[in-house]
Amino acid sequence: MKEENVYLKHYSILSDIFYFVKYFKKYEPAVLICCMIEIILSAVLPLVGIYLPKITLDLVTNQVDIGYAIIVLGLFTFLMMGVYGINTAVGSGKYYLYNAQRTNIIGLLFLKSLRIKYADTESGEIKKAYWKAVETATNGDWSASSRIISGSITMMKSVLCFLLYSTVLSFLSIWMVAVLIGLSLLSYLISLNRIKFTESLREEEAEVTKKYYCVKNSMGNVEAAKDIRIFGMNHWLTKLRDISLGELRELNKKRTRKAEQYEKLNFALSMLRDFMAYGFLLYQVTNQGLSVSEFVLYFGAITGFSGFVGDIMNGIAELREAANSTDYYRAYMELPEEDRNNGKRHIIELEFPVKIEFRNVCFAYKEYMEEDEKDNNQKEGTVKGEEKELTGERNANIFRNFNLTINSGEKIALVGVNGAGKTTFVKLLTGMLEPDSGQILINGIDTREFPKEEFYKLFSVVFQEQFIPPFTIAENIALNRRDEVDEARAWQAVEKAGLKQVFEEKNITLDSWMTRKLIESGIDFSGGQRQRFLLARALYKDAPILILDEPTAALDPIAESEIYESYHKYSSQKTSVFISHRLASTRFSDRIIMIENGEILEMGTHKELMEKNGAYARMYEVQSNYYK
Amino acid sequence: MNSNLTSKLPVREHIKNIKKLLKTVHDMEKTYFPMVCLVHVINVIVPYTELVLSAYILDGVSQGRGIGELMPVIAAVTAVIFVLHCLTSRVWNRICKIKQDDMYYRYSCMIETKMLKMDYSRIDSPEVRELKNRILSDNNWGAGLYSTFWQTDTLIYVFFNLIGAIVVGMPVLFYIAETKRGEVFVILLILLIFSAVCLKCRMYFMKKSQRFMYKEYTDKEKEEKTTFAWTFSMGDGYDYKNGKDIRIYNGYNLMKRWTTDVIFQKPFRKELKDGVAGEAGGGFFGTIITGAMEGSSYLLVAILALAGSMSVGSVVKLAGCLKNIFSDIISLINSVAEFAMTARKQMSTFEFLEISDEMYKGKLPLEKRSDNQYQIEFRHVFFKYPGAKEYALKDFSMKLKIGEKLAIVGMNGSGKTTMIKLLCRLYDPEKGEILLNGVDIKKFRQEEYSRLFSVVFQDYTLMPFKLAENVAVDTKYDAASVKKSLSDSGFEERLSELEQGIDTYIYKSYNDNGVEVSGGEAQKIAIARAVYKDSPFVLLDEPTAALDPLSEYEIYTNFDKIIGSKTAIYISHRLSSCKFCEKIAVFHKGKLIQIGSHEELVKEKNGKYYEMWEAQAQYYRENGIEVHA
Repeated sequence: MKEENVYLKHYSILSDIFYFVKYFKKYEPAVLICCMIEIILSAVLPLVGIYLPKITLDLVTNQVDIGYAIIVLGLFTFLMMGVYGINTAVGSGKYYLYNAQRTNIIGLLFLKSLRIKYADTESGEIKKAYWKAVETATNGDWSASSRIISGSITMMKSVLCFLLYSTVLSFLSIWMVAVLIGLSLLSYLISLNRIKFTESLREEEAEVTKKYYCVKNSMGNVEAAKDIRIFGMNHWLTKLRDISLGELRELNKKRTRKAEQYEKLNFALSMLRDFMAYGFLLYQVTNQGLSVSEFVLYFGAITGFSGFVGDIMNGIAELREAANSTDYYRAYMELPEEDRNNGKRHIIELEFPVKIEFRNVCFAYKEYMEEDEKDNNQKEGTVKGEEKELTGERNANIFRNFNLTINSGEKIALVGVNGAGKTTFVKLLTGMLEPDSGQILINGIDTREFPKEEFYKLFSVVFQEQFIPPFTIAENIALNRRDEVDEARAWQAVEKAGLKQVFEEKNITLDSWMTRKLIESGIDFSGGQRQRFLLARALYKDAPILILDEPTAALDPIAESEIYESYHKYSSQKTSVFISHRLASTRFSDRIIMIENGEILEMGTHKELMEKNGAYARMYEVQSNYYK
Repeated sequence: MNSNLTSKLPVREHIKNIKKLLKTVHDMEKTYFPMVCLVHVINVIVPYTELVLSAYILDGVSQGRGIGELMPVIAAVTAVIFVLHCLTSRVWNRICKIKQDDMYYRYSCMIETKMLKMDYSRIDSPEVRELKNRILSDNNWGAGLYSTFWQTDTLIYVFFNLIGAIVVGMPVLFYIAETKRGEVFVILLILLIFSAVCLKCRMYFMKKSQRFMYKEYTDKEKEEKTTFAWTFSMGDGYDYKNGKDIRIYNGYNLMKRWTTDVIFQKPFRKELKDGVAGEAGGGFFGTIITGAMEGSSYLLVAILALAGSMSVGSVVKLAGCLKNIFSDIISLINSVAEFAMTARKQMSTFEFLEISDEMYKGKLPLEKRSDNQYQIEFRHVFFKYPGAKEYALKDFSMKLKIGEKLAIVGMNGSGKTTMIKLLCRLYDPEKGEILLNGVDIKKFRQEEYSRLFSVVFQDYTLMPFKLAENVAVDTKYDAASVKKSLSDSGFEERLSELEQGIDTYIYKSYNDNGVEVSGGEAQKIAIARAVYKDSPFVLLDEPTAALDPLSEYEIYTNFDKIIGSKTAIYISHRLSSCKFCEKIAVFHKGKLIQIGSHEELVKEKNGKYYEMWEAQAQYYRENGIEVHA
């Protein structure tokens, strides 16, 4: 097994079944009731099938009165109708019910990802665990919950049938039952082999299908359509598609060839069984006085018998796989959550604006920590290389004894090349990441002493990745439920962020929808407007610390300039940190901090740094050169 | 076009749909259906052989034939059955199953294949987007082409089974026709009426469940019943990085409201309940018919046997056949209805595959010029995006000279990128024309015309395949040129860190050992791709937005080297980077409003250029507006 997920625990199949039993008991108990009814009825069903010919033959051979036959078989028919009808009704009704629950199952997984520590969601291992878990819930009828249900039903009803049939047959001969069980064991072994073979292909199958869907999605990527046309990518992509199709075909050949072998073995077994059954029953009829109707009954029972053994095997195979994927789901759902309510100190104690202090802060991304073992082996080297990338900032992974004080009400500009550690700084400050050692203090109090719930209230942040979900304007500004939104404050934030005019022009209200993803008439903002909109979110929250992480990258000069100004206007009375590639922004700050590789390279006002003629001055020169 | 799957459709249309779907499958694999038929003919022969065999045994027993006489027959028949089983297993596994899987995958990427070639102007048009949504919702339930396989499979099997039942069970039909017992006709009549009533009830419930499956929401319903549990959890519209916002802004409850809460709210529950009732009711009425049929076929045979004389073997055999005749007829009706739905669901896909191109397809070969003497002219071009109200370019005229370096600047939405798109002929102008050496570009073969341009779009895309293939845009490439292009674009340093070199996969979606690249690095790869293409025109649409000043500088110094004597167009928000171009074009609201060198433009104090220049330059001047004293 390569790269086994560290959080994965293997539970027994039974434990996984109970996991979902508990789940459905909580969210949709009707599913369980339907399952129970279905199991009982589908065990009765085949029994009805073998008794019907027997009863008919009994009636015919006994030459009963036609009226009597009509009553007996008529009642039997009603019984069958009831069993059939109810069985199908609960079966298909339940299917909709548990499928609807899959939405909840996947939703719970998503919500869980919001309750664990943010730092965890960035870790490669946990990301892998997350996607594995998502896969188990989004796979249609092959999802963990669906297969646990269908596997359990198949399994239990065939065990029940197996017992019922054994009982029926034991009236005939215990030996016959023994021989049949022997034959069943043989077919069990064959099936087990087949299951193992299919399972052994699973990894290859996942790999090949993944590739296929990756090529498919690349071909259908609307955003790539321009590049596809200009660079004539269609030849390349169709070649890749054909390669994928070829791989899939090869895999299927392997699978079906094996399937054929197993099927043949099973056919041979059933030939043997039928031959024996006929022989044995014939012997019973001629020598032991078995009636013709009993002959029919027992023959039906014997041939049915092996069907149930097959079903038990199918049930086991399905449950094994289902349990496997349930483990992945549980692994994620059982991750430790962030405790957001625990803490000795409270933000009520703080005096605003706050003072921030980084004291001897050391931090390294977890995946990066094996730096010293680099020469272990090649493979690990590559893995490390990738993990490093996942953090988005190369070389920025280490903070060593980082010290910095931001005075109360000060406006800081943080500059540095891509990957200098600016974003990591923001994440450390906002508590998204925790320092490995050292302290981050707010007004002299270690940030870890605040309950997270309160601590987060200290920040208004505009992060680099714009999060604008397709909800209403109000929900977007407050990032809260519509009924919890303070409308007056939301309007104020809109006005302050300089969006009032746009709102009036386009007739936008707090109940308008953002983006067209959900509602066709939704609002699409331009890049600059989106920035302002996010600013409105920060202003609505009105927290004592304001942080903006590179908000102007895609803006035209005039919009950029306006954004700087509004930011400046509303950051008075707040402690603030502003990150930008554009050094122009630094003019609005009290102090500029230039960092590189997680270290402070230079610090001071624009003037001081220019006089120092160091890295900042060089960077500034490069840019301002053009403007002279 | 009828977009609602639950609305009524005339039978004629259903037949048309079914024909179309069957033809599609048949065209993909001509031998598929004949092979499936072969398999099912045998599949039908086997159980009837078994039925006949047990009747033979029963009769033999009651006629007092001994084991010695019967066993050889049994042995022979079971052996034949074994051989038949092996035969079907072989044909099914080696031919039918493989063809199924193959067709399934080929079919499921047909839309994407079509998207590679259809007109760019259509690919993201509102109509096509709507069609794609419909395809998505049409295929929300069911198993794509597998539904077709399974259902045709059932249909074929049931059809042959019915024939088998009629052939083997022929005597029972005669018995029924000849009998004088009134009960038989009463039972048949009751059965007929009962079935009709049940089918009617079933239809009623199925309608309900279909309404649930293929619902269309109004805005109000969307608000009440939409859940983003699926999309968000799969990274569509939500990224784990957004988790920072959720935590800082305490957005948990909002996310809960839009994901799991919805499922337990009244509107959603009510809809689900209706769906469940529909499906359960439909299932109930469908199967009680089967129960009634099975029971009464034995009852009928019993009456016939009691009334006349019939051997025990015949009772078993004929009752079995009669049961099959009844249930096969019912399942034929059901399967056909079900298959009609499946076929209907595929119509949106076919509609997509049949989208016709609207752009004029020129045939003129492009004159290959080693001197790259190509001249481009925009003449009074008007253009509006599909579905948009306002013109993106309005009466736009401009000339591009050979070897010229032109910069285009303007506010967001001024038409800069649109002009590039028209130039590459991703769209055709609504009015006016674009000329290449005096000839309308529509007249050239699109594929050849595209070769003239190397473009790095603002929103360029890299594919999750090999680095080298991304640069060369092919599975075959010249390694040396690839490396050279990468080093020209400044990717060399990172390349040297990659153990697999240019064979490294980008991103992890295709290959787990792939590497992630930062925005800046991705941009460099995109530039390398443009370099490798080595076209006479180089178009750069804001290629440095995501870069820090130093990397930007690095790229710009490289550009001169890369571009050499080619014709180049830059678009940039950073006016500074345009300064070096011989000519700067200023766009405003879809028009060319200023053109000239930096020195000329900056002198026009009332001009847009001056305004934009000042907005940025103020920060870089030592005596500029100091906000803080």
